[in-house]
This record gives sequence, structure tokens and C-alpha cells, in this order.
Amino acid sequence: MAEKKKTYVEDIERTLYDIKNEDHSIYKTKSGLTEDIIRDISARKHDPKWMLDFRLKSLEIYNSLELPTWGPDLSELNMDDIVTYVQPDAKMVGNWNEVPEDIKDTFDRLGIPEAEKKSLAGVGAQYDSEVVYHSMQDELVQQGVVYTDMESALTQYEDIVKEYFMTLVPPKDHKFAALHGAVWSGGSFVYVPEGVHVDVPLQSYFRLNAAGAGQFEHTLIIVEPGASLHFIEGCSAPKYNVTNLHAGCVELFVKEGARLRYSTIENWSRNMMNLNTKRALVEKDGIIEWVSGSFGSHVSMLYPCSVLHGENARCEFTGVTFASKGQNLDTGASVIHAAPHTSANINTRTISKAGGRATYRSAVKVTKNADHARCSVNCESLMLDDLSRSDTLPTMDIEGDEADIGHEAKIGRISDEAVFYLTSRGIDEEEARAMIVRGFVEPIAKELPLEYAVEMNNLVNIELEGTMG
Amino acid sequence: MALQEKDVNNGTPAVTAAALAAEEQQRAVFSRIPSRTWRWLGANTAYMPEGLTDEPVTQTITVEPGQRDAVVLSERESGAYTVQADVQEGAVLDLVKVQLVPDDAPYTSRIFVHLGRGAKLNYTAIEAGAVHTASKLEVDMEGDDSQSDIWSLYFGDGESKIDLNYIIRQRGQRTDANMQVRGALLGHSEKTFRGTLDFQRGSAGSVGRENEEVVLLSSGVRNRSVPIMLSHEDDVDGHHAVSIGKMDENKLYYLMSRGLDLAAAQRLVVEASFQPVLDRLPASESALREEIDAYLLGRLSENE
Amino acid sequence: MSEQLLSIKGLHAGVEGKEILKGLNLEVGLGEVHVILGPNGSGKSTLMNVIMGHPKYEVTAGEMTFGGEDLAALKTFERARKGLFLSFQTPEEIPGITLENMIRTSRQAITGKKERIIAFRRELQGVMKSLKMDPSYAQRYLNVGFSGGEKKRAEILQLLMLSPKLALLDETDSGLDVDAVQIVSEGVAKFHNDQNSCLIITHNTRILEHLSVDRVHVLMNGQIVEEGGPELIDDINKRGFTHLLDAQGCPVGGNCPNAETCPNNK
Repeated sequence: MAEKKKTYVEDIERTLYDIKNEDHSIYKTKSGLTEDIIRDISARKHDPKWMLDFRLKSLEIYNSLELPTWGPDLSELNMDDIVTYVQPDAKMVGNWNEVPEDIKDTFDRLGIPEAEKKSLAGVGAQYDSEVVYHSMQDELVQQGVVYTDMESALTQYEDIVKEYFMTLVPPKDHKFAALHGAVWSGGSFVYVPEGVHVDVPLQSYFRLNAAGAGQFEHTLIIVEPGASLHFIEGCSAPKYNVTNLHAGCVELFVKEGARLRYSTIENWSRNMMNLNTKRALVEKDGIIEWVSGSFGSHVSMLYPCSVLHGENARCEFTGVTFASKGQNLDTGASVIHAAPHTSANINTRTISKAGGRATYRSAVKVTKNADHARCSVNCESLMLDDLSRSDTLPTMDIEGDEADIGHEAKIGRISDEAVFYLTSRGIDEEEARAMIVRGFVEPIAKELPLEYAVEMNNLVNIELEGTMG
Repeated sequence: MALQEKDVNNGTPAVTAAALAAEEQQRAVFSRIPSRTWRWLGANTAYMPEGLTDEPVTQTITVEPGQRDAVVLSERESGAYTVQADVQEGAVLDLVKVQLVPDDAPYTSRIFVHLGRGAKLNYTAIEAGAVHTASKLEVDMEGDDSQSDIWSLYFGDGESKIDLNYIIRQRGQRTDANMQVRGALLGHSEKTFRGTLDFQRGSAGSVGRENEEVVLLSSGVRNRSVPIMLSHEDDVDGHHAVSIGKMDENKLYYLMSRGLDLAAAQRLVVEASFQPVLDRLPASESALREEIDAYLLGRLSENE
Repeated sequence: MSEQLLSIKGLHAGVEGKEILKGLNLEVGLGEVHVILGPNGSGKSTLMNVIMGHPKYEVTAGEMTFGGEDLAALKTFERARKGLFLSFQTPEEIPGITLENMIRTSRQAITGKKERIIAFRRELQGVMKSLKMDPSYAQRYLNVGFSGGEKKRAEILQLLMLSPKLALLDETDSGLDVDAVQIVSEGVAKFHNDQNSCLIITHNTRILEHLSVDRVHVLMNGQIVEEGGPELIDDINKRGFTHLLDAQGCPVGGNCPNAETCPNNK
């Protein structure tokens, strides 16, 4: 056999994301986490009393919980060094022109205002701890759709927020959910009334600019019976030498016969600890579709969870994770079948290279009453060199005998025979390998919003170009 | 991260992380999976069955280079059994374990096998008895070109608990591991199967296959499956699959159209799924084979 | 004799240290159709892969030139760009790459010219129609879930779209039903003209029906043991290969890789 071919890859081209702005924040809490800091954040945000109590209770829970005993090493994270609240020098506005120049430039470079014009029905933009821009098409406003930042929602729709906020992801769920409950700030609130179809996506973009800061945005989406929505979430940050923390929380309520597609492209910088919790509660005949791309961050722990709570509720999960040098991306999905005839499809691809570590972790739980639950899992991992690691750690827990559960996983490298086939058609080796890698993620890429699919293909191109061994 | 099952289980009491942690501290641990995961799934740890102290009956097997050895372990009594096997260069060990311990007695077994260069393990296990079975199989495939071919069958009924943890460490180059597990669960039995293929760095050219097929035959059963694949090496070909479910209704229909009643048809389908494992019992053990057949048939009929 | 296109002299090659081709000579002129016959394991597929430059195979001696240029220094993709094309006996399945995308990328790589998507698609659909291929296959992933016949038709589709100088057809007709062989045969005939050549491995004369065969070579034990005109095909069909061995004896002696099946080995 001829010498073994390897696809060596260099670090990702991140210039676009790495442009830092000067820190013009008008207020920052002290680093660390104390009751005083929580009271300070709460006062600045003009929380109602119940929210302050909620925050304090969450802090108590946070202090009582241990770090997870599994998954990536989190010892690098020192909460005493993290600034939990950074208020940018900007008010929330509904017009890009009113956004301060440097912040607007950032979002311009990321293509957000452009995307709003072309392909979105509404946009939200968060800079550090606060949302600086929110806007939605008038037509949707008239149909009763609400899309605003969480702070405004807490004032204008206090009852709804109070009814749902952190009920699906309670603070005692795990340490970072508790942390989120204590220091949350910003995020989006979406309410789609019964029967309303939001055909064009809404998008929120989260940008963390301040060094050593944490971002704790809360996303609460309620899709009422028979309604539908496509929501896109984008995240990025410039790289610093200190650890940044993202512990967001996403709670999705998909009511009877409703449909929600939640797409995420996460491209945090490689000093980010991304410990995010996402969960959907799906009622009868409802559908949750997750599309999840994890490319950035130093450490990620992200496993969107679907609770199929009503009969015939359905989950489609499509995910891709790309771990390179210095990254430990622990991602996956979990599904809880808690009602009869619920079904789920989980389809993931992971790539690891240049010493990166990727883990697919999942849980499929079928409770006793969930007759005729069906779940099919397919996860494939591609390793581009022997410096990297790729682990697959699924768990299935099935009660009763009326379930139909299938799981399949593969780990391997680029096949020499496939490379030979393509090169025999005149395609050079580098391009042949890139084509095979792109083909590997194609089933996922085609689920992404177009701009992101292009971006993902570019990522693959950039990472594979010119570095063949 | 840990899930709060309050809203989720429709009234089933939630298992809190704290309660699980307390349980882990109080009970003696029998074995763990090589890489931990969420606690609420209860998959991380297998506990010592009650009523057994961990004082093992140990047996040592050495297969000299180039030799072939066949060992049949026929276990009928409650106890903690340990086997340490060293299969040296180019040697083959055919290891059969048949566990038919009385259904009110606890049982544990730990089997460690080391494979030298070009060595091969053929392992066949029948786990059909005991009220609580905890079995661990650990294969260290250190030698280049070593092979392990593992076929295991479990059968749970009544209140029985079966807890299996198989870990195959592929360390040498061009190692070949195959893990095939078949099971059937009836009554209120509970089973956890953890199967790990661990491709360690340097295991270039290795392949690993893992497949578990479980048939669920009663609404009271609980099945946990944890197929793990760990890889530090890109030049490997790893694959695992699990299928959990009821019996194939088309198969049952076909058999019933030939005059079988439901129970007989079910029995036939379970037997068919066990066949590849049972067929590996050595021809010389025909009495044992007949005994197992009669035993399984008896248990299947009893549960109709 | 026409201008030489492919010339192989004294070729020794093998895989993982095992020699399969043991001093093979072959000349293919421009515009010609050559057929290679031989029993299983005689080295036919190895020859095709060695000409195409499969990295698994090692050439230990001899030389190969294509259009007068030494092939040894050329990588597989460079050989393809010079005008070599191999129709695989078992085409690879590659998920995520559509058939259309793959052919377009190939043609751009070979010609160095950018293809216009609409014009290319129209041309592709036309050729697919002539091969009685369902046009939806253009958007399917390369060979994934294709039947044996569909895979072979997809190979001929690539042949027609890439129009190489030399087509190497490795049992392109095997495993196909009569109608499919007919379509493949017409496809190859449509490809062939006096400016290109074919080197065909086959067990089935039906694929040759629409072609005029110039030369037939019988490959056994890694060497060409018999050559002749198209009449040799009928002869082999009637008499098999055994008589050649009888006449020839075993050409490689004790190291024969086919020792177990060789009728001379008693």
C-alpha cells in the first residue's frame, strides 16, 4: 500500500469574527458571583420583585450544585473571573441607523442588516448583555406576532413570561441552568398566536464583544396551536486570551398541531466555554425541528432536548459538529417520548481534526405510557487525522414493549477508494477530499438556511485548502 | 445535562441527581462504563447484586503461543466468578460461559482476556438465570492482528435484572472485534447492556462491529442500551447498531398463517434470534445445548 | 498501423508485495477497439487499475506511455486529465455528492473551462435520456442506492460527458440484464470514433455488438498469452481458456497465484 494520505488542516479563517471593538460598555458588574452582584443586575434591569426573588433563589441553587461529573473538563472556568453583566452604550432601537456606529459596523460585517432586507421577517441583535436592535415586519405585528427582547417582554407581557420562564429548564436542572437563572440578561421573546404562520424566518444574533465576560441570554418562544415559525439563532465573538462564558437558555413551547424550526449556527471564538441549555416541549401533533451547527468555542456542551409530551408529537434533529485544534465539542441531542405515537429522527455528523475532540452524546427515553414510540438515530463521525478524538456515547432507556427504536453509528476516515474514484475523473486529490468531506456534511448543510449553508461550505473549504500532507 | 423529569414522566416520581448520587455512595459498585454520561439515565454504574459479597472464585487460563484451548464454564450456583485469561501469540481461546443460576439467586462474573499478537478470542455467553446478573467482559487486544469474536445472549423474565458491561480495547494494529448481542425480555425484567469499542491510539487498520438486537415481549420490561465507541485513531472502521422493539409483526403474521398460535409463533421468532449464539456451542456439548434449549423453551412457555 | 495511444512494455506490478502482472506487453492505437479476455484472477482488473494509477498498486518494472508520455510520474487525476477514463467494475458510492455535481466538477477539472450550469444540465439530461436513465438520478448522491445496472449506466454517462481519449471498460456489462447491456453497448458505440480508443474487459460479446473490434488479447497469469483478431473471441467462447494453458504450460511456474485453480497444477 502506498503511504497513507492525511488531510492536514490549518486553523479556521476567523478574521471576520475576530474584529474586536473597543469596550465602550457603560456599566459592568464586578467579576464573580455574589448576592450583591445579582441584586445590582436586577436593579439595573428594573426587574419585578418576583424576578429578583427568582434570581436569588437560582443563586442559592447554583451554590448548592456540583459541576457535571461527565463530559469535558470545565476546571479552566473560574466564575470569579467572569463578568456576568456588561451593559453596552446603546439603547434598544428599531432602526439600524440609530445603533451606535461601532456596534452597527460589527453587525454589518456579519451581514445581519443585509440578511434582514433579503430573507428575514424580523431581526434581533444582542451585543454583550443587552439587545440593541429589534425589528419585525408590520404585517406580522398586525397578526399579533410578538418578537421582542426578553426585558421588554418582562414589562409588556409579564403574565406570559411569568407562566413559562424557566419552567421547562428549571434552575435546579444543573449548575449552569442555575447560573443562568441568577444572571440572565437579554435574549428574545417570540409569541406566535394560534393559527398564524410566520413563513419567513426570524433571526436573533448574539455577539459577545467584552473580554472575560459571560453572555446569558434567554430565548423563550411560544408557538400556539396550529401556528408555525422558523427561528434562526447566530452566535459569534472575537478571540481573547481570557475565558469567556456563554450559558444561554432556550425554552420552546410547541402547542397542539404547531410547528417550530429552530436553526442555530454557533461560531464562538476559541476562548469560549459554551454551556448552553435548549429544550422544547411539544404537544399533540406538534413538530419541533432542530438544525444545529457547532463550529466554534473552546468547549461546548450542547444537547437540545425534545420532550414529546402530546400524542403524535414529532422531533427532527439535524446536527453537525466540527472540532479542530484546541476544541472539545461535546454535542448531541436528547429525546423524551412521553406520549403514545411520538416519533423522532436524529441525524448527526461530526468531524474532528488537528487534535480536536468531538463527542456525540445522546439520550433517548421512552416512558411507560408512550406506546408505539418510534425513534431512529443515525450518527456518523469522520476523523481526519490520528491526533484527534471522536467518541460516540448514546444511551437508550426504554420502558414497555411497544417501542421501535433503532440506532446506528459509524466512525472512520476518508475512504482511499472514494478518493481514487474521484481522482480517476480528473479531480485533484485535495479537491477530491474536500468534496468527500462536503458530501459527508451535505445532508445537514441542505437543512441550513441558505446563507449559512454557504458559510458552512466555505468553512470546510478554508479548512481543507492548501494543507495536504 | 441532568433533566428534571417532573413534567416529563407524567406523574412518575422524578429521580433527582442528588438521590442518584446518594445511591452511588451507598451501594457497592460492580463496574462502570469507561466514559461517564448523564446521571439521570442510570447507565453509568452497575451495582453489586444484593446478597453477594465480592469474594470471587477466580480461575486463570493461559493459552501458550500457537495453541488452541477450549473452556466451557457452566455456572449453576450463586456466586462471584472471575476469569483471567492470557491468550498468547497466535493462540486461540474458545471460551463458553453458560449461566443457569437459580432464578432467586444473585450472580456476578468478571472476565478479563488479554490477547497477544495474532491471538483470537471466541467468546460465547448465555446469560439466562439468576435474579440479578452483573457480568463484565474486558478484552485487551494488545497484540497486532488480534481478533475477538463475541456472541452473547441474555434472557430476562419475572423480576430479573441483567447488567452487562463489555469493554473491548483495541490497541494493536489491524485488530478485529465483533460483538453480537441478542436478547429477549419478558415479565418485569430489567436489563442494561453497555458495550464499548475503544479504538486506542496506534490501533491503525482496526475494525470493530457491535450490534445488539433486543426483543421486548411484555409491557412490564425496561431496557437500557448503551453502545459506546471511543476513537483516538482515524484509520479505523467502527460501526455500532442497536435495534429495540417488539417482534416483527409481519414475521408473526406469516407464522400464524401457517397455523401457529401467537405464543408458538413468538417462541419461534425468539428462538430464531438466539440461534446464531446457540449454534456456537461446541458440538461436544450437545447435552448442554439440549439443556439450554429446554430451559429457554420452558421459561418462554411459562410466561405465556 | 495507426498512431500509438497506449503502449505498455514489460510491465510488472502487484499489490501488498504480491506480483500480479508479470511482464505484460500491450499496444493500443488511436481509433482502435481492443478486448481483453481472461479467466478470473488473471490480472485484468489489476491492469486497469495500474493504467489508471491506483495508489494501492505498485509498479515494479516496465514502462507505460500514453500519447508518447510516460505515465509513471503522473498521479491518477493527471492521467484523467490526459484523457484516460476507467469505468469501474464496482463504482464507489459517495454520499452527499450529486451525480451532476460530480460530472460537472470533473469536466471542469479536465477541460480547465468553467461549465455553465444550465447548458451543462441540458446536455447531461440529453445524454441521460439516450441511456434511458431517469433524469432524477442527476440529483441523487453518487451511486448511493443505485442498482447494479444504474451504476454501470452512470459510468457510461460519465464516459460520454467527459469524452476521454482512451476508455478502459472493466466488465461494464457484468451483472446486467439483456436490455441494460444493449443500452451500455450503444453508449460505448456512441462514444467511439477514430479519435479515441477503447480497451474492454468483458465476458460477454453482446457489449461488442455495435463496435468493430480491432484486436483481442488473452491475459492469463499476468501475461498476454495469445493475441489475434475478433475471431479469437469466438474461439475462446467455444474452447475456453484451458487449451491455451495446455499449449503454453504454466507461464509463471511455481509462484503462480492461481496455483489452486490452475489445471496444470497436479
